Amino acid sequence: MGKWIRWWGLGAFVVVAAIFACVWIFFVDGWVKSQIEEAGTEAVGAKVELDAVELSLFPAGLMLTRLQVTDPKEPMTNAVEIAHITMGLDGLNLLRRKIIVEEMVLEGVRLSTPRATSGATREVSLQEEETGMFSIDLPSLEVPDVKKILEQEDLETIRLIETLKADLKREKDTWESRLKELPGKAQLAEYKKRVKNLKKATKGGLKGILGGVGEVQSLKQDIEREIESLKGVKKEFEDTVALLHTRLDQLQTAPQRDIQHLKAKYNVSPQGLANMSQTLLGGKIGSWVRQGAVWYERVKPFLEGAQALGGGQAGPEVHKPLRGKGVDVHFKEANPLPDFLIRKATVSVNLDLGDLAGTVHNITNDQPTLGHPTTFAFSGEQLNGVKSVSLEGALNHVIPTKAKDEASFRAQGYELTNLVLSKDDKWPVALTSGLGDMTMIVGLKGQALTANGKGHLRNLHLSAGKEGDTNPLTKALSSAVTDISQLSLQADVKGTLEQPDVTLSSDLDRILQKAAGKMVNELAAKFGAELQTAISAKIAKPMQQLKKNLSGFDGIAGDLTERATQHNDILKGLLEKNLPIKGLKSLPGGFKLPF
Amino acid sequence: MIKLLAKLLRVLNSETEPGQISLGLCFAMIAGLTPLFSMHNVFVLLLVLMLRVNLAAFLMGLALCTGIAYLLDPLFHLLGLAVLTASSLESLWTVLYQSVWWRLEHFNNSIVMGSLVFSISLFLPVLLLLNLLIRRYRQHVLAWVQKTKIMQMFKASKLYATYQTLSAWRHV
Repeated sequence: MGKWIRWWGLGAFVVVAAIFACVWIFFVDGWVKSQIEEAGTEAVGAKVELDAVELSLFPAGLMLTRLQVTDPKEPMTNAVEIAHITMGLDGLNLLRRKIIVEEMVLEGVRLSTPRATSGATREVSLQEEETGMFSIDLPSLEVPDVKKILEQEDLETIRLIETLKADLKREKDTWESRLKELPGKAQLAEYKKRVKNLKKATKGGLKGILGGVGEVQSLKQDIEREIESLKGVKKEFEDTVALLHTRLDQLQTAPQRDIQHLKAKYNVSPQGLANMSQTLLGGKIGSWVRQGAVWYERVKPFLEGAQALGGGQAGPEVHKPLRGKGVDVHFKEANPLPDFLIRKATVSVNLDLGDLAGTVHNITNDQPTLGHPTTFAFSGEQLNGVKSVSLEGALNHVIPTKAKDEASFRAQGYELTNLVLSKDDKWPVALTSGLGDMTMIVGLKGQALTANGKGHLRNLHLSAGKEGDTNPLTKALSSAVTDISQLSLQADVKGTLEQPDVTLSSDLDRILQKAAGKMVNELAAKFGAELQTAISAKIAKPMQQLKKNLSGFDGIAGDLTERATQHNDILKGLLEKNLPIKGLKSLPGGFKLPF
Repeated sequence: MIKLLAKLLRVLNSETEPGQISLGLCFAMIAGLTPLFSMHNVFVLLLVLMLRVNLAAFLMGLALCTGIAYLLDPLFHLLGLAVLTASSLESLWTVLYQSVWWRLEHFNNSIVMGSLVFSISLFLPVLLLLNLLIRRYRQHVLAWVQKTKIMQMFKASKLYATYQTLSAWRHV
């Protein structure tokens, strides 16, 4: 035994292991720090920095000090800065390469803090100035010059007249040339000649009669065929003419469409007033929707992280190969857990308006494995400028194909101050002060976004218009707006995150309609009447010409009718009156004619 | 390189048991062909240090096998993947997958599994073969080699001087 055992080797092993352990303990904090910074920077696209990391083994835990996440769009600003993050780790699962955080506490979370140095990792493209979702579109209060408008505008009525005129000419030419190809006088003369020859044949005895019978039959069939052909052509012609008449009738309504189009184009309609809530408040709400969408888009890749890797748990599953590293084959786990999970995060956010506290449960990139959605709830009371505020919701990606995210936001006694509602030169509007109670419920099922919001604004002080404004419309509107002390607001959002469709309605529409609706309606009626007169005058002559051209088709119709009648006359008159058809039906020897 | 060859000669020509040399080389085969920082290699190191294995042979073998391992990685990957995805073994792997220690071993990686299966399978045959070869070398080849003209020339070379120096150190 002694020959094969080297007892000092055991001591050497212990020494080697101790050296490794010391090195690991000494360097692990720095290694974890660099790993977090590298992974964070890669994910955010801007610098993620930590002041210090402290890893403890018994019990397993991690403490991060001053985490700074740069805003990729503003490298001199931290999107989030967190003073302390403390987390307790599941040590056993850590050995399984799973980061399971039982509880995480985030203290001193602040948003949009300044940075000492730039946190850009790549060149930041110049941010485009955010254009409002809605632009102010006040009705015009002056009747535009109708004559000038008609000279400039491409009217639908004129276009239709020109098209119909060209079509009429083409159809007329077509039918005139077709008439030449149809059986006419020459054909009728030919038939008359054949009838005459038949009469002679019947006088030539039995042989002549029998030969004539066949010729009569042939002639009859020829004439009937011509009549059928003429009938078909006449039907086709009547259909063409009917279509042209329909188009002419449709032309009668084209001027009305032109008038409506021009009223909208030159903004001489009360439509703008009916939608003033959207015009004034839609921009703000649209901006909030876009901000929400941006934050959601940042979170979404994390929620769908495991799906991208195909993280199911049924049977062995091969992950993507890495050269020299091999591939990991995963098997079904008895108690499956995601690779990353924070069961509970307690967050304290320091905002300008005060401190918000909340909890987030089940933060993971693999909800299908965990079987629970990520839920969150934040609230704050007696804050600066808000009596109370709460935000709660759930991001449910447990079944990835049926992802459903929900959130509800409530704010009571929200102080609104110096909100610019319209920057329009003609009619600036600002909310000087007021209080708002708001509720917003947002849902996202797959790509379908729905949101319903209700707001009650009270103690409002609004300023509108410019000093020395002489425009009666804006004056009336300004007077109505400044008298408003409370408003009810209803917002509905549909569509997708990329293309949200925001619809707003409020008392404001009714108030403004009442204030200036009559004025705008009268103006619109006057403009419409002027347009009607001018367009009618402009199209009178072309319309007469069209009617005249269309009446030219009557001649073709008459010609077709006459030809058909003449063929019928020959068939009936000449065959029945001049040939002894009755006598031919009973021939000697019991022969019968086939007609 | 010269020192390495000299070491090899010294080991082969020494009084060391053939089993100690071949065992060192076979342990080196496991540690070298499989990823170095694996749990099983801690156990291999413990065995190498505790058993009276020739350390020079182990270190030489480790250097050689680590180099070869990079060339054999594609083979190890295919072998490991075939073993890990074999339906008859799925239940076994599933059981091991539940264990923290086996997860720490990273057995579910195709290269770890492939290289481990490869090196363990060859362990016994290589051990016996090396034993036989060393014995044969010492019985028949060593005496004959030392009488050849080439060996005479070699003895007069710098390489042999190095070998002599090392031998002298050993006997100090």
